[in-house]
Amino acid sequence: MTSSVPLAMEDVTKRFGFFTAVRDLSLTVPQGSIVGFLGPNGAGKSTSLRMALGVLSPDEGTARLFGAPPNIHSLRRVGFLPEERGLYKKMSPRAIISYFARLKGMSAGESRKRADELLEMMGLAEFGRSRISKLSKGMSQKVQILAALAHKPDFLILDEPFSGLDPVNQQGLEDLIIEEHKRGATILFSTHVMEHAERLCDSIVMMARGRKVFDGTLDEAFGALGRAVLIGVSEGFDLDAAMTAKGFPENEMQGDLWRVSLPPGRDAQDALRAAIDAGAPITSFRPLEARLRDVFVSLVSDAEADDLRQTLAADSGKVEAA
Amino acid sequence: MRSIYLVARRDYLGYVQAWGFWLSLLLTPLLMGLGMMAPSWAAASQPTRYYTVIDQSGNFASALRAELDQDRIQTARITLDPVGVMNGEPSDKVQTFDAAIDRGASIEDALEEAGGSTVDLPQSDFVYVDPPATTQEDIQPWLLGERLVETPAGSQPLFAAIFVPEGGNEIEYWSENVTAQNLLSKVRAAERTLTEKRVFEEAGVSPQILDEADARARDVTERKARPPSQAEAGSQVTLADRAPFFAAVLMAFLLWFLIFSVVNYLLMGTIEERSNKIFDSLLTSVKLPHMLAGKLLAVLAVALTLMGVWAIGATVVTNAFSSSMPADAREMMFTVISAVARPGLLVPAVLSFVLGYLMYGAVFLALGSLCDTIQEAQTLMTPLIVLLMVPMFMIVVAISDAESPILSVMSWIPIFTPFLLILRIPAQPPLWEVSGLLLLMIAATLLVLWLAARVYRAGAVHGAGVGDVGKWFARLVPGKK
Repeated sequence: MTSSVPLAMEDVTKRFGFFTAVRDLSLTVPQGSIVGFLGPNGAGKSTSLRMALGVLSPDEGTARLFGAPPNIHSLRRVGFLPEERGLYKKMSPRAIISYFARLKGMSAGESRKRADELLEMMGLAEFGRSRISKLSKGMSQKVQILAALAHKPDFLILDEPFSGLDPVNQQGLEDLIIEEHKRGATILFSTHVMEHAERLCDSIVMMARGRKVFDGTLDEAFGALGRAVLIGVSEGFDLDAAMTAKGFPENEMQGDLWRVSLPPGRDAQDALRAAIDAGAPITSFRPLEARLRDVFVSLVSDAEADDLRQTLAADSGKVEAA
Repeated sequence: MRSIYLVARRDYLGYVQAWGFWLSLLLTPLLMGLGMMAPSWAAASQPTRYYTVIDQSGNFASALRAELDQDRIQTARITLDPVGVMNGEPSDKVQTFDAAIDRGASIEDALEEAGGSTVDLPQSDFVYVDPPATTQEDIQPWLLGERLVETPAGSQPLFAAIFVPEGGNEIEYWSENVTAQNLLSKVRAAERTLTEKRVFEEAGVSPQILDEADARARDVTERKARPPSQAEAGSQVTLADRAPFFAAVLMAFLLWFLIFSVVNYLLMGTIEERSNKIFDSLLTSVKLPHMLAGKLLAVLAVALTLMGVWAIGATVVTNAFSSSMPADAREMMFTVISAVARPGLLVPAVLSFVLGYLMYGAVFLALGSLCDTIQEAQTLMTPLIVLLMVPMFMIVVAISDAESPILSVMSWIPIFTPFLLILRIPAQPPLWEVSGLLLLMIAATLLVLWLAARVYRAGAVHGAGVGDVGKWFARLVPGKK
């Protein structure tokens, strides 16, 4: 049975011996979306992606690609860039791109034409027939990315695609991802560089310690952290009382400034207007721009603290039992 | 099937573009040819050595010369009729030659009498010269090369001096060279012959009676018992009867050699893929069994390429030299080749080859998937190489007795079955045994393929390494976790 949903994972758990790498992960990647898969090192991102592709089998739960368990037919619609990069060192970029495209079902002639086209597009045409061992690391990485998307997949899974690339090539890869998205591909990529996710993603899934700690749009992510403005007023004015009266009840002093939290549905303009209406002698005003990095640090820290609490509780239970 | 073909094609092209392949292709026949020619070259390049006999007994020098001529006489007989001499049925030519030698003719004269004067006999390695001195002390400068003896080839060093006293307990063999033992062994043989004659004479038995006894000994003719259906072949043992054994040994050796040489490609190729971290890309593009099948097929194709090129090369060389080859040698070669082509030998041999290759190939693939470096692979390879030496020893056993019970027993050990079944086929084991061995081989190959796929997955997907193999074995030990 096929489905338009490129990837759906339900309650997936994977253990390696006594270590649980991924616990109860559920996620859906809607067709046509760009989803960022975020998390610190060791969060379980790569293990999750390998389960999504059927390279690893989950101990519990199910992973479905286009509505079916991962198999060679559904995988033909997928392009995958693994975290661990590797190519045949004695082959040429052209031969490698063509080889993987053919493994995914392209004809020989078509795959070679596509390889030439992609190498030209990425400025690697002159190295098309050189051995991979003669190329720089960045060039090899670009070749592997091209090999992943040569067969024009419906769904691209890129595991840490930006790592190892210099800023110029990172921008080039962002452009390539946008191009692929415009072509109609659904894209899921893992990263721990938040800026890429902020610029590219419709939605994000965050992992920490093998568990999903967030799944939603960027706005929802920023909302999870909470938005605020910093207002400076002349000495002696009670801004807290004035703003509370105007419907902004969460205010606290941070140094010389008041940090005024924005309730749901209210924005920075509303806060400024309320302060002026309350007759506050404003000396400075600055909306606090939420960054995905802050959301990430906050959520990961919460998850790690939660994990630590659970571990301590389990340990104390053992002590009491003893 | 397409993915199997694509994996096989990529791997095959990768292998044949490597230097190692071309070295194997060109050097193997070259080295084998050199290996075959080496003994005759060594013999041809052997310098003529000069010896002397200080003979107080009077008859030792001639006895030693007769011993030294024995090798040349046998060479002359084989050159006259190789098949007849090997089968123990010398032709008229050989019988004429033997009769002339028995009459005391020189080898050259005997050959001419037998119509083989064109035969190019090697020169004798040892040539007698008159003694330059008569005592052990006086002859030392010649033995040490300080003085030279006069020979038809000019002044030469003296290689050895043999002192034969009249009576006494020992003959003294003097030489500076203590590694070349040929002449020494001939001296011992000559002394043994002379002593036998002397002892018989002392007992009142004349040497002529001994010769007559030799002459009157009846020939033993080897005959082969055949079932009634083959009665028309007669009971005489011919080369055609022995050819299947030669062919089987040849094929078993070929299988061993190919497994030994080409499965390394699988090991190295897999190590390269593991160290290049390419497995995830492959496993999301092709099914694991297809990938393994493609890899095994690629190396099989490499093996067949090597064999094909060598076979074509051998055919070309044989055709080029067949006109100068003795008719008997040509007949012997074609008899062995036609024995190889017999379905009774060829079918089990081909099955053994394919199953043996798959069995060992899968093992090497699995090992490669566990190793990051060649050094790691070597730690796992050593026991396998030792294991692979066993069939080689069995080939040696089969050369002396293809129906040896040890061959029968060991052929039921699955890892040796592919080689030993081939070796046993010419002895015509019962059909149930051949069928049983083939079934055992098929079952063992399937089991090894299944296990290898699991190990390969553990290595390729989970990153299991050589250390994990040790832990796995440790878990088998009771009481260990």
